[in-house]
Amino acid sequence: MTPSLIDFIAGWELFRDPILCGLFAGAALGMLGVFIVLRRMVFISAALSQAAGLGVALSFYAQIHLGLAGFLVDPRVGALVLTFLGASMLRLEPRGRLTREGMLGLAYLVASAGTLMVGTRISQEAHDIQAILFGTGVLVRPSDTTWVLVSAVLVFGMVIWWRRGLVFASFDPDGARVRGLPTTLLSLAILGAIALMVSIATRALGALPVFAFSILPAIAAIALAPSPTVALILAACFGALGGVGGYMLAFFGQFPVGASQTLVCAILAGAAWGIRTLISPKSSRLAVPRA
Amino acid sequence: MITRTNPLTHPSAVLSTESLSVGYGGVPVLPPLNFSVNPGELWVLAGRNGSGKSTLLRTILGLLPAVSGTLSRPPATSIAYLPQVQSLDPIVPMRVWDIVAEGVESGWSFLKPRITADQKQRIAEALVRTQIEALAKRSFAELSEGQKQRVLLARAIAASPQLLLLDEPTSAMDLKAEEEAIARIDELRRELGTAVILVSHHLPAAIKAADHILFVDAEHQGVAAGGVQEVLADPIFHRQFAGLTGDLCVDMLKDGHRHDA
Repeated sequence: MTPSLIDFIAGWELFRDPILCGLFAGAALGMLGVFIVLRRMVFISAALSQAAGLGVALSFYAQIHLGLAGFLVDPRVGALVLTFLGASMLRLEPRGRLTREGMLGLAYLVASAGTLMVGTRISQEAHDIQAILFGTGVLVRPSDTTWVLVSAVLVFGMVIWWRRGLVFASFDPDGARVRGLPTTLLSLAILGAIALMVSIATRALGALPVFAFSILPAIAAIALAPSPTVALILAACFGALGGVGGYMLAFFGQFPVGASQTLVCAILAGAAWGIRTLISPKSSRLAVPRA
Repeated sequence: MITRTNPLTHPSAVLSTESLSVGYGGVPVLPPLNFSVNPGELWVLAGRNGSGKSTLLRTILGLLPAVSGTLSRPPATSIAYLPQVQSLDPIVPMRVWDIVAEGVESGWSFLKPRITADQKQRIAEALVRTQIEALAKRSFAELSEGQKQRVLLARAIAASPQLLLLDEPTSAMDLKAEEEAIARIDELRRELGTAVILVSHHLPAAIKAADHILFVDAEHQGVAAGGVQEVLADPIFHRQFAGLTGDLCVDMLKDGHRHDA
């Protein structure tokens, strides 16, 4: 039997955390996605979410086989450490014939293979790793919501405050360096924010929706926005809509949560580009009002 | 190898080099350079493709470390850089105003939550000076090449620079547009007293406005820096630009260049 709205309201206590998680993670990752998409690093969140999965697997391995306990082997900490490690490696400039895409692919594959290999040694916890890789929107815990909320607030604060510098340094790095902007710090700040949000959100929601939140809302926003500021705001709104709308779709349609959130984000991106094409078919973005 | 440069350093120079060697990975691509650029001067950085122009430009801009020698500027010298239009990503949703507003940023200024009234005034003046105020709300990606170039020039002007470096600003323009663009740059440096280094491999229009030439030739390891007449008379310069500027050079040498006369 298909669930009704009354069922949804009656079960709000159960759904509150995953919905809030989707809302905050979608908004924060959506905003960061503008930098990811425009810097042509769309696979960075995929690679980092796999790194987060490896971090979780290693944490479980340390707990089970090495008998370690405490904060340092908490799966969330493991995800954070491996994600930041991956982000710091991806920050390196491409060298010789190793392109940035090649570096991203290498990081993704090493992390994926590592997760699977470590996973075979911790079979009793394998369901956690599976959940991280494929999404567990219905099983979000209050502590995960708190972590996502705190991380999202940090990311929003940083992006809003440093917005002008981040935009300048991201899209014309040479021009920004000539003007004395701290481009290395700004680049690290964006990568750090992506690493933080991806690792925390992956632990809570799974890799698939995290990848979707960090790409698709930004694609929709870039299609419609006349300026970087508007693109950041729109991307945050689309991400939040994807997080909440996807959960509702999953509930009423009885679909997997991560896949539903991805689908809603994809629909938003498709709709935005459809509108864009209708209004200005020859251009890649919406026409801006003429002065 | 030919190396003729002007080592005289003016006390008010906005840029001075002393045995400056530029290159990659510690390997110089050009002989050492000695020159100084003073306020209000217009230098043309000339050379053929692959001659080392971009390497020298990136070193002057601080984007590449010097191999050896010194490159000095007075403290707090405001520098602006006008990149090639093609170097800016067309998919970035930027309005003209957004791009010109980047010109007023420097150092950690982005930490201030809002652009100040003074900065807004500088942006407005730059838009007016480059005659693009009507384009302020337009998308940068939708402009013509000439309009984009003016937007980037406006961004540079908004920085109130003492030293302005332009990387082949007329490369995508036809002859008439190129002459107009060079004339605009010439007018601005005269009005504002800004020192200008203009990179170009299409020389005729640039040389007409310039008072100095910085000529580089990595292939033959030649560099020459100095007044227009002096560099135009250089044999290696003639050899490299034969057919391109030959008639112009002959005319200028015969009549005397307007700045050197």
